[in-house]
Amino acid sequence: MYITLDGVSRQYDSVWAVDRVTMGIGKSEFVSLLGPSGSGKTTLLRIIAGLEKPTTGRVLIDGEDVTDLPPHRRGVAMVFQEFLLFPHRTVFENLAFPLRMLKLPAAEITERVAWVVGILSLGGLEKRYPNQLSGGQQQRVALGRGLVGRPKALLLDEPLANLDRELRQEMEVEIRRHQSALGIPFIYVTHNQEEALSMSDRIAVVRKGRIEDFAARTDIYDRPKTAFIAQFVGRSNRFEGTVGAGGRSVATRCGTTLALPAPLDPARAVQLFIKNEKLRLAPADGTDASHGANRLACTVKDVILRGAYADYILAFGDRELNASRPRSERAFLSGEAVIAHLNPEDIDLYDTDGERPS
Amino acid sequence: MKGRWAGRALLGVPTAFLLGLFVLPLLSMVVLSFWRTENYHIVQDWNLGNYITLATGGAYVTFLIRSLVMASAVSLVCILIAWPVSYSIILYGGRYRLLLTLAFAVPFLTGEVLRVIALQGLLGPLGLINAMLMALGNAPLRFIMYTNVASAIGLIYLYLPIVVTVIYLSLLNFDARLIDAAKIFGASPLRAFVEVTWPLNLFGTLIGFALCFIPCLSATLAPRFLGGPNGTLYGMAMAQQFGESGTWALGAAMGVVLFLTSLIAVLLVGMRVNLRRTGFTGFGRG
Repeated sequence: MYITLDGVSRQYDSVWAVDRVTMGIGKSEFVSLLGPSGSGKTTLLRIIAGLEKPTTGRVLIDGEDVTDLPPHRRGVAMVFQEFLLFPHRTVFENLAFPLRMLKLPAAEITERVAWVVGILSLGGLEKRYPNQLSGGQQQRVALGRGLVGRPKALLLDEPLANLDRELRQEMEVEIRRHQSALGIPFIYVTHNQEEALSMSDRIAVVRKGRIEDFAARTDIYDRPKTAFIAQFVGRSNRFEGTVGAGGRSVATRCGTTLALPAPLDPARAVQLFIKNEKLRLAPADGTDASHGANRLACTVKDVILRGAYADYILAFGDRELNASRPRSERAFLSGEAVIAHLNPEDIDLYDTDGERPS
Repeated sequence: MKGRWAGRALLGVPTAFLLGLFVLPLLSMVVLSFWRTENYHIVQDWNLGNYITLATGGAYVTFLIRSLVMASAVSLVCILIAWPVSYSIILYGGRYRLLLTLAFAVPFLTGEVLRVIALQGLLGPLGLINAMLMALGNAPLRFIMYTNVASAIGLIYLYLPIVVTVIYLSLLNFDARLIDAAKIFGASPLRAFVEVTWPLNLFGTLIGFALCFIPCLSATLAPRFLGGPNGTLYGMAMAQQFGESGTWALGAAMGVVLFLTSLIAVLLVGMRVNLRRTGFTGFGRG
């Protein structure tokens, strides 16, 4: 592994902000650290950067133990959420800064800055100061400053959080493209699951200083390892209940029965998650016969148009269910009676402590 | 309409204040400096005599140069002391930051005369330091007894709190995360200071310098109580013109010279500094 964290912990007063994290990151991998705010993901990034010292554990970059090295001798670069461009320096000087610190000759500095100005389309802005740039341009300069020194790894701390949605999606594509072109690992901290899902090879879900799971993005989304991940990644409907006598179904607290994909010990307390897009809708009059094993009679309460798909808020007994359907399917109107149905295979099932039952 | 009048009225207050209390007295001083005084009477007879005296009378030139050297040295020392002090308050002050900064203002609660006389008691021949040295069988420190050094110590003591406060405020507005950024991109802690911390706080440092330098130029109390026979400074000599000697016109001319000297000093420093290079964004966007 190109970057290795070995039992890394960081204690603040009596709180473990990072708690025994062990993970390996490959040489040309795009890895996201995804977690809610305060989960310790930024602290973890700052430990890799050398801005924080781990209380225990080791950090290895390219085979070298850098645990005791200060940040300026680690050869990694970082893009900050607030950009942190040097306000007293022009765009050119900001981009040249890492190269000057490497003591490169002036001709090479000019050449490398020109290269980075080219790939980030910053042409014509070289003489401006950061406060004369738009948010998107500042973000590009910050990214350029991270790439220009050809670092061993680029660490990104919520770099898109301050940009508007459209710009963010544009930058997501661009960042991913630069990563694959340069072949260095990008470690991307975010609380935004869409960003993590759209860019990463692998996602580490961070919760209370620990890595809840570190797996391919499809696994994180499709087969969440814990109830926390099921709740945090994607949008889903949650049920609580008890496994019925036969072990093949669950009696939920809201009074319905859901068939299970595989038998479980009877009387076991469980929680179930069903992703919004896995909940299919059919008219209640029975004209559609493709119903799955689990059928829930609901009334459409509200329809939220999302463009390519529609979000339905359904009244089911005294609770609400959420379903997300493509617009190419039959549309339902507010007040209409519908049957929400789902395949047993689409249920993510956990014990009450959040782990998958063994 | 109402807003415009309110705006004018609000602008009018500082304008009237500046005109009445600053420009008018200054003008009257300039006028007076071209008249002369005879036996404690002002004679309204236009001449350049005062300025000729100041330019040719050796003592006045000496006083001015001595004052300039003194003010520069004192301001420099104040900045050298104030930087580490303010920096450590910012870094380690924690929740006591404000308290620590306010503590610097405590000496201001007593009068300036009192503070200078207290210093006299500390530095003089029978003062705390020398009395203790002698009691221990050592020779007293001669260089702090009624010398220019003693004056300088007094001036540093008087103006250090102002410089600390100004540099502290500058550091408070400085985004210390920029130091992290510099380190990440390969700067050692010292290099990060030179590349980021110093230039971005240069403007504040210069204001601190000016706020120490200008009052030092016209200082009268510290040299009078602490300085020796060779310690006469320009401001002190000027005060004498208005007091004992009653040569008000000459004093006014000295005031004009002092004003112009301060102005030139500030402009010289100001011209050498590109505000953009200090991260000063008062120009707004564009």
